[in-house]
Amino acid sequence: MLQLQTYLLLLLTGIMWGGVYLLMAFGLNLIYGVMKVVNLAHGDFIVVAGLLAVTLYGAFQAGPVLAIPLATLLFLLVGLAVYRGLLAHVDTTGSQGELRTLLITFGLSSIISNIALLIWGGQYQSVPFFQSAVRLGPLFLPESLIVSSLVAFVLAFAVQFWLTRTRWGRLVRATAQSELGAASCGLNTGRIRLLTFALGAAMAGAAGALTVVLIPVQAASGGFVTVQAFTLIALGGLGNYLGALLAAILLGVIEVSSSYFLGASAASAMIYLIFILVLIVRPQGLLGHRGRI
Amino acid sequence: MTRTRAPRVAITLARLRQERIWLLFGIVVLAAAMVALFGNGDQAQLLFSTCLFVVLAYAWNIISGLSGYVSFGQVGFFGIGAYMAATCQIAWQWDWYLAALGAVLAAIVLALPLGTVMLRLQGIFFALGMFGLSRIGALIATSTSLVGGSMGEPVPIVGTTQETALAMLGCAVGAVVLTAWLLRSPLGLRLLALRDDEKAAEASGINTNASKVTAFCLSAGLAALAGSLYVWNVGFIDPGSAFNNTYELQTILMVLFGGIGTLWGPLLGAVVISLISNALWAQFPQQQQIILGALILIAVIWMPGGLVSLFQRFGWLRRRPVWGPPPPVEAEERLPLFPAAVGNVGEPVLGCQEVTRRFGGLTALNRVSLEARSGHIVAVIGPNGAGKTTLFNLITGFDRCNGGAIRLGKMLLKRLAPYRIARAGIARTFQTCRPFPSLTAWETLLLPALVASASKEEAIRAAAQMLERLALRDQWDASPESLPPGQLRFLEIGRALMLRPRVLLLDEVMAGMSPEEIRLIHALLREAVAAGCAVIAIEHVVPAIMPIADHVSVLDFGTTIAQGRPDEVLRNPAVIEAYLGTGEEEPVNA
Repeated sequence: MLQLQTYLLLLLTGIMWGGVYLLMAFGLNLIYGVMKVVNLAHGDFIVVAGLLAVTLYGAFQAGPVLAIPLATLLFLLVGLAVYRGLLAHVDTTGSQGELRTLLITFGLSSIISNIALLIWGGQYQSVPFFQSAVRLGPLFLPESLIVSSLVAFVLAFAVQFWLTRTRWGRLVRATAQSELGAASCGLNTGRIRLLTFALGAAMAGAAGALTVVLIPVQAASGGFVTVQAFTLIALGGLGNYLGALLAAILLGVIEVSSSYFLGASAASAMIYLIFILVLIVRPQGLLGHRGRI
Repeated sequence: MTRTRAPRVAITLARLRQERIWLLFGIVVLAAAMVALFGNGDQAQLLFSTCLFVVLAYAWNIISGLSGYVSFGQVGFFGIGAYMAATCQIAWQWDWYLAALGAVLAAIVLALPLGTVMLRLQGIFFALGMFGLSRIGALIATSTSLVGGSMGEPVPIVGTTQETALAMLGCAVGAVVLTAWLLRSPLGLRLLALRDDEKAAEASGINTNASKVTAFCLSAGLAALAGSLYVWNVGFIDPGSAFNNTYELQTILMVLFGGIGTLWGPLLGAVVISLISNALWAQFPQQQQIILGALILIAVIWMPGGLVSLFQRFGWLRRRPVWGPPPPVEAEERLPLFPAAVGNVGEPVLGCQEVTRRFGGLTALNRVSLEARSGHIVAVIGPNGAGKTTLFNLITGFDRCNGGAIRLGKMLLKRLAPYRIARAGIARTFQTCRPFPSLTAWETLLLPALVASASKEEAIRAAAQMLERLALRDQWDASPESLPPGQLRFLEIGRALMLRPRVLLLDEVMAGMSPEEIRLIHALLREAVAAGCAVIAIEHVVPAIMPIADHVSVLDFGTTIAQGRPDEVLRNPAVIEAYLGTGEEEPVNA
């Protein structure tokens, strides 16, 4: 009985952590899906949004309810500015295009994280909100985890709905599948790319402001967050939404259970190992072309 | 006499001008050696770290710049080198140079299987897979207790700053020379070709996997060398600094800043960025990274080709064509374009028996049989989507049949890699030209010539001769992108012919050609056929192929609807119905 309880707890927390990872990877996935740009500053957006939430909490005792809309709005503007100021000026097509965008976003990441270091310093910080535990039958789950993963799954379905059922979503998908085709149908693909990048950045902002209640952040942890998010979306098949959801749950369960059975450092090795194996066996991601936007 | 001497002198002068860069390089190296010998500790340390990054930059450039496989984990080999060297020094008290040698060998031995597996991945997947591997390396280093574990351990043998700087300088020079040699060698040619177009390289008889893995191992060895000398310099080993991601990122930044895939780019990038960040570190220790980040943005937006591209605009630092210019070909040393006696004319060379290929529910080819005889031209015609190109892909190994057999002579081609099939004597062209933009016309021909020829001299002669035959001699150092479409076609046919094929597969080579160009192709094909080569030509321009075809095969929806002599086939009602048109509508290609 105790055994079963443990497994159940591991599975449930695994799925929830998966939701949190998904939330943190969502903006990256959207931007890659449409623009074929890996935004290496993604993690830094999340971290800065988290640190902003910490400051808001320190100044006004304001919780995520205030921090999330503020961070979302702020990073929407940041996304607009980054696209207009930087990405619109480089040629992102061709064999060198990918490298160029990586380099631009890498430079941006370095700038943002080091400015954050000057402002907030290097210590880990968190927002003490949703600190109670919820009793679920014989199981105890931290409230922050439940809230974060619920928001994550709701957001996942909202985005899926937006992409498949609305006019703007259709335009975004058309641009994602063939930019040339979309442009020749009279779509302003530049505007759609702008919108996508801003939206992806805003998602990072929202994710950061929320998950800081669960994961303490410091100015330099953005790089790690980016890697984690990228691992997830690569596992799911870049730009693939269903795949990302599946990969998130898989990664969450694997990480939680392997850190329970094998210890923390083995857990992170496990993630990379699975990542490489999946790449070799199924380089197109778990689901391949199915489920791509 | 003077007429032959004048170009010789000009060539020598040009050479000298090109070698000036090496003179400059030598002076810089000498100056650096002076710093290492007579400078103070700080200066020597700066020299050491600059040279360390030069070596890392060249290591990364070989795999990511020359062969186009961008890796985010080459620092993993730096870590392996550092650990291997530390182990040798701690456990067995080896001297530093022996430890370095051991580290390099260990990295190469490890890189061989890793590269074989990982290089199957493409683009961002390879980059991130390598990143994952280097992370796993770091985790292993953290968790083993062999060499200090996560806390690290001092290394007994520590060099003085001056001697480590001098050794590192030597390695940096070695890395530059290695890259320069690569760029003038057949291996470099193969790498550039596969970077541009892996399939076209395979079709030219290049074993792309072997070339990639070789480049990967060279890169790993260089990175490991840097790692071993790093341990010798700092006298300490720990996972955090051996598998340091910042090194990886900084290396990538340097190469891109200098110019990726070039000879001098990594050097320029590594030196400039090292010096800048060192100066920034003294002035603005807090803001250093911010300024570096801004520098990257500026570099990418204003200088996308790197520093080297600024010089290249004035014609400096350009890559020199391998073994160029092509030597003049004297009449008496002409080689046959095709292997001498392939066999009797009319003997079957290539046979496809009941070949079937299905894509999901669609049967692209259904029990198609085709035979090519030496000295004969087979025309394959049929509407778009009839399966013609699929047939070529099956013959050349780019695709696998679901049923049936394809034989070259008596040899079954099943499961042979494309490059093996190309080497066995089946050459092809592609429906849309697939040139190598990084190579000159001369090198494009040299590449398959090196595969087919016994010696370097023979290859050079054969390629020079083909260049003349295709009337491309004046454009020998032109990039394919600057050639007009007709000449590009000729170059592609020439590339296929350089393999001295027994079977030549031409995929719509006469589409969009002028009558004059078609006459040239006809002459070339007649020459090939006279030498006993078997030709299979897919063609839409029926009037262009019929005069020279001996046999016609008509495909429609994956089945052969007719075959036989051209005049018979063209009168066949089924062929007229399916392809040629009944005359009620205007024929498109007339």
